[in-house]
Amino acid sequence: MLREEIALQARSLRRSFGEIVALDSVDLSVPVGALYGLLGPDGAGKTTLLRILATLGNLDAGVAEVNGSNVTDFEREQRAAIGYMPQQFSLYPDLTVAENLRLFAALRGVSKTQRAQRQQLLLDMVGMTKFSERLAGNLSGGMKQKLMLISMLMHDPDLLILDEPTTGVDPLSRHEFWELLAQLHEVGKTILVATPYMEEAANCDEIAFIAAGKITKTGTPDQIVSDIPGFSYEIRAEDLFEVQYHLDSLEQVVTTAMTENALRVLVNAGTRTELAQELSGFKISDITQVPTDLETAFIYLAQQAKAATVDNDRHFQEVTK
Amino acid sequence: MITRIAVIAGKEFRQMFRDMRLLGIVLLMPIIQLLLFAYTISFDVQNVPLWVVDNDRSVSSRDYIASLTASGTFQLAGISDSFNDGDSALEFGQARVAVLIPSGFGAEIARGNPGQVGILVDGSEPNSARVSRAAVIAMSANYSLELTKGWAVANGIDLSGQGMLAAQVRTWYNPELKSSDFLIPGLMVVILMIVTVQQTAVSLVRERELNTSDQLALTPLRSVELIIGKLLPGLLLAFVNLGVIVGLGVGVFGVPMRGDPLALIAGATLFIISCLGIGFLISAVVPSVEVASIAALLVAFLPAFLLSDFAFPLDQIPFVLEWFSRVFPGRYMVTISRDVFLKGAGFEQVWRELGALCIFAVVVTGLAAMRYSRRAR
Repeated sequence: MLREEIALQARSLRRSFGEIVALDSVDLSVPVGALYGLLGPDGAGKTTLLRILATLGNLDAGVAEVNGSNVTDFEREQRAAIGYMPQQFSLYPDLTVAENLRLFAALRGVSKTQRAQRQQLLLDMVGMTKFSERLAGNLSGGMKQKLMLISMLMHDPDLLILDEPTTGVDPLSRHEFWELLAQLHEVGKTILVATPYMEEAANCDEIAFIAAGKITKTGTPDQIVSDIPGFSYEIRAEDLFEVQYHLDSLEQVVTTAMTENALRVLVNAGTRTELAQELSGFKISDITQVPTDLETAFIYLAQQAKAATVDNDRHFQEVTK
Repeated sequence: MITRIAVIAGKEFRQMFRDMRLLGIVLLMPIIQLLLFAYTISFDVQNVPLWVVDNDRSVSSRDYIASLTASGTFQLAGISDSFNDGDSALEFGQARVAVLIPSGFGAEIARGNPGQVGILVDGSEPNSARVSRAAVIAMSANYSLELTKGWAVANGIDLSGQGMLAAQVRTWYNPELKSSDFLIPGLMVVILMIVTVQQTAVSLVRERELNTSDQLALTPLRSVELIIGKLLPGLLLAFVNLGVIVGLGVGVFGVPMRGDPLALIAGATLFIISCLGIGFLISAVVPSVEVASIAALLVAFLPAFLLSDFAFPLDQIPFVLEWFSRVFPGRYMVTISRDVFLKGAGFEQVWRELGALCIFAVVVTGLAAMRYSRRAR
């Protein structure tokens, strides 16, 4: 692949805060035009990685590049290519929606006529035209996120970096938000979005799974799921919690996860019959083999990462004894 | 660059006028401070309560008492004929000074002998004690001189040929030695410093707390542009404050404006920029808005109050502190303010202080910009 076709790249990236290693030799490469998901549990290092790629964070070692330029000697003017939406609301609560939009666009040198045009267009796009004179601090959570999104788009950057844009937002607004991202993806924007939600990650072309500062898996959502070893079953029973408790104690069980009305279990060995035998003491109504889903994959990958860190710690303790 | 500064200044103005209560406080605070300080801090000694123990009850003793209370320095709090009353008047705070006139005072004077009086001074408040003591001694000496003259005339002796030292003392710049004339030009500086440092100390740190600093960092805006953009509204507000304080000082307290107002304005501009710069520097290093407020109070109030020469002469303090006072802009501005108001100074007289403030303003603002851009990453 040509170098120019990579929008964002990290090579052996390392960053620690005191004794806490936030990023541990991270490699990541986001192609131009991709809708790329950064999936991982809380505290995995997602925000640290995104801030570095948005040219806002320091790094200890390794290389981070945006459009082929190293972030450490990034020119201020080049930053116009980037739109970054942090996890927390980061606009002025005491300015109105329109004032916020105009302010950041004006600082980026967007002309007055263009500002007015884009403001109208973007407010229409997110259905917020009638809120343009409201103070940003008085918006609802979902609207704040939409305002941040369109504020990031006022200067029409090619590259969008979003840090958990839908965390704490109601499901309807989340859905709308992802439709907006899909529209932006369609017109060719490169999007890197961090999320702790599996179903959101499933919308991406490609996902990187990050846990404990390491990217442990990359690929399309399908690839990631199909690479998970073992078999998944869905169990329906009267006393699901007891079943889960029992299963968690078994060696062949990798993970269990409760869904709305069933228990999903990933086992690394054994057939459906063997599983049924193991659960003969419970009132089981149904056991079906199902394809492994992203949520199970997430839990599996998170557990693997955790186990690796524990092993590392043990190794470290033994070495330093 | 100009556009970006204007955008930031516009934003700051908008935010400033959006919160009218805050704006009201910022504009009212200096007025309240000036009135409070000016009326509470005074080194003038007037209406000191005086207790008189008059055991003589003669024409001479009444004459003497009248000479003490005529000037307004002392106010008669009570008169009695028991020495114990004089003691207790001081003890219970009814009087600050007690004069004891023994019986036979008038008769001694009439015989041409020196009359003896006792004077008790409450020294718990040294400044007024010192002034009261000096005043009562001077007034007594004056009265004694009058007596001598009267006695000489009565006995047909001409004293005009006697060699007496007559020192002709003239006090310049503040002939009545009014402490308000001396204090208010300095007070303006102190108040201005408190208000301005506070104003900007929270400014940058608030951008960080709102996470807006990240969004600003992603624009081509330079930190020096951000700081200048934030400085302009602060400068304007400080000038409004200065205008009000000068108006009150000249209009209400009758402080004379003898020098070149332009020199004062030039000094004030540089001084305000220096103070706003100190605020920015605080803002760039502290972790939170709360810490910024406390730090601003510490950095602005104490040195402005104690190390600015505003009330406590700098040549009276230890060498190290005197040297330390040079790193605060207050002392330069107090000199400019006092020299312009009272001594009638212009640019020629205060160029050194103006130069010091100019250097201060550039260095501190530059440091703040540097600190902030390093912290921003």
